[in-house]
Amino acid sequence: MDSNRLDVLKELANIGVGNALTSLSTLLSGEKIDMDVPVATLVPLQDVPEMLAEEESAMAGIYIKASGDVDLTVLFVLSLESANNLITSLVPGSRGDFDEMGISVLMEVGNILTASYLNAISVMTDLILLPSPPEVAVDMAGAIVSTVLAQSSAIEDNIVLLKTSLYTKQTEINGSILIVPEIDSMEKILGILGLG
Amino acid sequence: MTLMGSGDMEAVKVKIADLAALKERGMIITVGLGSCVGIGLYDDNTKVGGLAHILLAESAPYKNRDGALNAAKFADTAIPELVRKMESLGGQCRRLQAKIAGGSQLFPFNKTGISVGEKNINAVRRTLKELNIPILGEDVGGNHGRTMRLFIHNGQVKITTVGKGEIIL
Repeated sequence: MDSNRLDVLKELANIGVGNALTSLSTLLSGEKIDMDVPVATLVPLQDVPEMLAEEESAMAGIYIKASGDVDLTVLFVLSLESANNLITSLVPGSRGDFDEMGISVLMEVGNILTASYLNAISVMTDLILLPSPPEVAVDMAGAIVSTVLAQSSAIEDNIVLLKTSLYTKQTEINGSILIVPEIDSMEKILGILGLG
Repeated sequence: MTLMGSGDMEAVKVKIADLAALKERGMIITVGLGSCVGIGLYDDNTKVGGLAHILLAESAPYKNRDGALNAAKFADTAIPELVRKMESLGGQCRRLQAKIAGGSQLFPFNKTGISVGEKNINAVRRTLKELNIPILGEDVGGNHGRTMRLFIHNGQVKITTVGKGEIIL
């Protein structure tokens, strides 16, 4: 995986995540959302959990698997406080707990973010990508990330990881979006973009 | 594995798809077991202890992928590898006892059939049985994550969680 190819994936993540954050901003009544420039890196599998958050800290994770012409995994991770803030700003008057209502709000946010991300990729590559229903877990960060890796059958010893962090000031939401393309899918995407 | 801290208690951190063994003193820790399973092995006679953190059950489907295989990633290859490592420190396979934790289903995954966590637990049990290593204690399944510590001086295993208390095995 040379840096040229990583750059292309990074640009893809940039456009996809940009699109997703526009949707999130619409949800939050037009609030401005800042994001870091996405990072595309080849990471040893073992080091993935500690890249996201302190491994033992409690976090909310929204997980969506996209399949179709290519397969990739999307994980949106928020601190508990941010997840609470997100829930209360979308459902004014709610307590922001991780009850049925809270969890379905997080799922819906996952749906909207992922759908707009995948749309952007589809438009660029003509590939069809269908998201699975979102899954939410509230638990230690390390357990969430390793479970997602196992679920995506992360069989390679090095994983290509696209990571972006986002921040909102008013609603105080800090989170990270992690995208893990399956290795064959990545080759396919790069092929279509002329870097096969 | 990573060496953490120093002084009184040597602490070794086992990452995902990783394993480590120590003798006589210190502690081995692995953080964030979700569907993964932590396998602690202990030889009380020689005070040799080891811990593995496996991600998946079986190595067979992945063997032809890219040649190199990280043995510590799979239940069926990690446990024999851990036993070898412990034998090199003076432990003996016939004296080993196991304590296992993890294999939970963190996300509901609206799917029928057996979860990755269950598959992992089953593969760990099967591999331990093949090696005639008895399971002395376990904290497996459920839907929450776990951190596992193995204390080398006595073979005690401590499981901690987020909001679900702690257990000594």
